[in-house]
Amino acid sequence: MFHGKRDRSETRKAINSVKGKPLMTLIGTLVISSIILSLPAFASTDADNSENNTRVPAGQNEQTCYLDGLSEQVSCGFITVPENPAKPDGKQIEIHYAVLAAIKSDNHSQAFLAIAGGPGQSAIDNAAGFSRMFRKIRQSRDILLIDQRGTGRSNILNCAGDGFEDPLAINEADFDVATETQACLDELDADVTQYGSLNALDDFEAVRKHLGYKKLHVYGISYGTRMAQLYLRHYPEVLSTVTIDGVVPMQQSVLAIGNAISRAFDLLIKDCNTNKLCGAQFPNLKADLASVDAKLAIAPMVSQVRDPLTGEATQLTMTRAKFMGAIRMALYMPNVRALIPHAISEAAKDNFQPILGLYSLTIDSTGIAMGMHASVICGEDWQRLTAAERDAANQTYFGREMVTTFEQSCAIWNMPAVDADFSAPISSDIPTLVLSGELDPATPPSWGELAMEKLTNAKHFIAPYATHGVAHQSCANDLIAEFVDTGSVQELDGECLNKDVSRNFYLNASTVEAIPTPEHKQEPVQKPKQAIVQGASHD
Amino acid sequence: MMNKIMTMVRKELIDAARDKRSVMAGLYYAIGTPLLMCGMFMLLIGQMSSPKDLNIKIENADNAPDLIKYLSSQGITHGDSRSTDDEGEPLDVKDIRLVISEDYAAQMAKGLRAEIILIADNSNEKLQNSIRRLERDLQTYSAEMGSLRLIARGIDPRVVQPIKLKIEDQATPDSKGGVILGVATMTMIYAVFISGMNLAIDTSAGERERNSLALLLSHPVSTRSIVLAKVFAVTVFAMLGLLLTLIISKISYAYVPWHELGFTVNISTDFILLMLLIGLPIAMMAASLQLFVSFMAKSFKEAQSYLTLVLIVPMMLSMAASYNIAPDTLQWLPVSGQQQALIAFIKGREIPMLQLVLSSVVTLVITLALTFRMERSLKSEKIVFGL
Repeated sequence: MFHGKRDRSETRKAINSVKGKPLMTLIGTLVISSIILSLPAFASTDADNSENNTRVPAGQNEQTCYLDGLSEQVSCGFITVPENPAKPDGKQIEIHYAVLAAIKSDNHSQAFLAIAGGPGQSAIDNAAGFSRMFRKIRQSRDILLIDQRGTGRSNILNCAGDGFEDPLAINEADFDVATETQACLDELDADVTQYGSLNALDDFEAVRKHLGYKKLHVYGISYGTRMAQLYLRHYPEVLSTVTIDGVVPMQQSVLAIGNAISRAFDLLIKDCNTNKLCGAQFPNLKADLASVDAKLAIAPMVSQVRDPLTGEATQLTMTRAKFMGAIRMALYMPNVRALIPHAISEAAKDNFQPILGLYSLTIDSTGIAMGMHASVICGEDWQRLTAAERDAANQTYFGREMVTTFEQSCAIWNMPAVDADFSAPISSDIPTLVLSGELDPATPPSWGELAMEKLTNAKHFIAPYATHGVAHQSCANDLIAEFVDTGSVQELDGECLNKDVSRNFYLNASTVEAIPTPEHKQEPVQKPKQAIVQGASHD
Repeated sequence: MMNKIMTMVRKELIDAARDKRSVMAGLYYAIGTPLLMCGMFMLLIGQMSSPKDLNIKIENADNAPDLIKYLSSQGITHGDSRSTDDEGEPLDVKDIRLVISEDYAAQMAKGLRAEIILIADNSNEKLQNSIRRLERDLQTYSAEMGSLRLIARGIDPRVVQPIKLKIEDQATPDSKGGVILGVATMTMIYAVFISGMNLAIDTSAGERERNSLALLLSHPVSTRSIVLAKVFAVTVFAMLGLLLTLIISKISYAYVPWHELGFTVNISTDFILLMLLIGLPIAMMAASLQLFVSFMAKSFKEAQSYLTLVLIVPMMLSMAASYNIAPDTLQWLPVSGQQQALIAFIKGREIPMLQLVLSSVVTLVITLALTFRMERSLKSEKIVFGL
C-alpha cells in the first residue's frame, strides 16, 4: 500500500471559524503557525467551532470522540490542572488531549506527540492533518495531540472582536490596537500571565504521566518547535527523538520575522523571473509590487466589489495592510503561492479581484487564539527584543507593523518577562531532526541552523521546494517516520527532499500551462465540441 | 460407570492414535486452514494495494507539464515496458493509460475544462486501487485548480462546496478486524466438525467393518457406556483440532500485514478461551451427529458419503452467520447462534447472552437425543451387523 504521499497536497487544515479580528490575525499575529490556512479544495473539510466535536460529559474524562476530518473514533480526554501552578488550590483549568491509537495496538509505552504552531493553534483541530502526515508512524505508535493551555478546548483565550463587522471595508489604520486589546483582556476570564510556554510544558508532562507513556517522540511545527526545545531542556529523560519543523530557535525572538517575510517575497520574485513562462508573462513583477505597495502606502483604494462569500455588494478598502498581508499569507502554501505573480500583476492594473480572493482566504481562517498568542509573544519575545533588533525590524514593512502592534498590546497584556536564560541555545545529545523550508516566509533555514548550535546529535535538512512546515509538503514525513523507527539521525538521507514538487505559476486567472500562441490555436472545429461538453454538465 | 467410560475412552483414543495417517488426516485441516487463510490474505492485501511508486503510461505528457509534475510528486510517473528502475530491473508498469488531450493547454488558458482520458480495465482487481488512486489525485488537482481559479476572480472557494459531509464511523479498530475474523471463526468452527470426522467413522462404521463392534458389545459394559465413550473420544479429537487451529491462527495471523488495511487482527487469549468454551457443546454435537450417521450407514464408504452431505448443514449455518446474510432466527440455532456470539465478542459488542445460552442448550439437547437414539439403535442387529 502506499502511504501518506497522495494526500500531501490535499487541503491540509480545516479552516477554523474562530472569530478573530482580521486585523489582529493579519498584522498583529506573527502566524508562525504552519498547518494553517488551507486552500479549500473540493475535497476539503471546513471546521466548525471545535467545542461541539468532542463530547466529554462531566464526570467522565476520557471517551471516544470524532474529530474534524477524521471519520474514525479516537479517544479524547482531559486532565485538570491549576491555572497558576503557584496556587494549586486556585482556579482549575482543563487540558484536553486526543489519542490517535496505533494501528498495531500492542505497544502503548511510547507516543508521538505532535505540537501545533501559532502560537495559539489547536493541535486537536489539526488531528486529520497530523494523522495523514504521520500515517506511517501511527502504524505502530499512538499519536498524542494536546490542546495547549489557552487554545482549542483547553480554556481558549479568544478575542471575540466587536466593532469590526466588515473586514473588507475597514481601513486598518483606523484600528485602535490598545482599545481592542484592552476590551479583549476585560472579556477574558483568565489570568493571562499564566499562559506562557513554560506552564504549558508542565501541562504536557502531566498529560504524558496521566496517560502512562514512558517515552515520547516529539514533533513540533513552527511555534511548536519552541515547545519541543523546551521539552529538550526541561524533561530530556522522557524523550526518545525530537523533530523540529520550521524552527524558531530559542535564541531568536519571533518578532524578527520581518526579515524572513521580505526574504520570501524576494525569493518569489526571483523564482518567477527565472521561470521561463512566468518571467515572460510577468517581466515587471518586482516593479509592479513596488508600485502597488507605494501607491497603497499613500492612500488606500476604495472600490465597490462583490463580497467573495455572500456575493453582496460591499465596499472594499484596499489598504497596504490587506495587500501585503494577503500576499504574505499566500506565501505559506505552495499551491496558493503560484497565484501571487498574477495577483500582483493584476493589482498593478488596478484589478484587485485576485488580491481580494487571496485576502478572503485569510479572514477568520487562521484559527489562532489571540489571547494565548499575546501571552506567549509578550512574555517571551517582546521584552527580549533589543534596541538594535527593533531598529532592524523597523527596516521592513511587516517588522515595523508588528513592533508597533505589540508595543501597544503588550503594554496592556502586562506579561512578566521570562528569565534571560530562556533565550540560551538548547544543548542536548538527544537525536534531533531539524527541518527547514527554503521558501519559508516565517522561519528561514538560517533559524534552523541557529537551533543546531549546541545540538550534538542532530541533522538539519533544508527542503528546497517547501515553504513553512516541511513535513506536509515533501517526503519529510517519511524521513520522520524512519527517524522515529531507528531513533538515530545518522542513517537519514534527505535526498528525496530535492524532488521537484513545485507548482507552475498561474499565467492568467485560469491556467498554469503555457498559453498557446494564436497561431497554435485550434481551428473553430473545436467550438461545437465545447458546447456539448458544457451542455452535458448542466444536466 | 464413570470408570468404565474412562477406560473405554482411553481404548478409543489408543485405537485412534494407532492409525497415524488417520490422525494426520483428521488434523491436517486444523493446521492447514489457518495457514491457507493467512496466505490468501497476504496475497490479497499485496495485490489490492497500489504500489508506492505507480508507473503508468502517460501520453502527450508535454501538453501538461504541471499536471505531470504534480502526479510525479504523488508517486505516479510515466513508464514504458523498456524502462528500468535504479537497479536496472524492469519497471512494473501498470496497464493504465492516461491520455492528455491535444487542446489541454488551450482549454485551460481559456478557463474551460481540459480533457484527460483514463484508459484501464476496471474489472481487473489488481488495478482497481491504482485506478482509484489516480482518479483521486486527478480530482484533487482539479479541485485545487478550481479553487485557485475562483480566488483569482475574487470569489471564496467555499461557495462551491455547499455541503460539508462529516462521516462518523462507528467502527472500532476491533470491529474492523472483526470482518476478517468473522470469516476466520467459520473455519475454526468447521475445524470441530472436520477434525473428529475420521475418528467418528473409524470407531463406528470402521469398527463394524473390522467386526470388532459385536465383540465390544458382548463385553459386560452397557451400550450407553460404549456410546458415551465413543462420543467423548470423538469430542476430544474435535477439541484438539480446534485448539490446534486457534494456536496456529494466533501465531500465523501475526505475520499478515493487516495494518496496511488500517486495522489489526489479533487473536487474543480471551478469544481462544471463549472459543474453546463455546466450541465444546458444538464439538459434542458434531461427535454424536457423526457417530450417529456413521452407524446408520451400511459401510465405511457409505458413512463417508453421508457425512460429507450432512456436514453441509453446519457449514451453511456458519457461513450465513459470518457473512451476516442470516435471518434473525439463525441466532437461536446451533452453530450459527454461537458463532454470532463469537463475532459480537470480536467486534467488541455485547455478547447476546440469551441467544448464546439458548443455542448452546439446543446444541446439547440435539447431542443427547442423538446419543440416546444411538444407544437404542445399537441394540438392533440391523445396525450392529450393518444389515
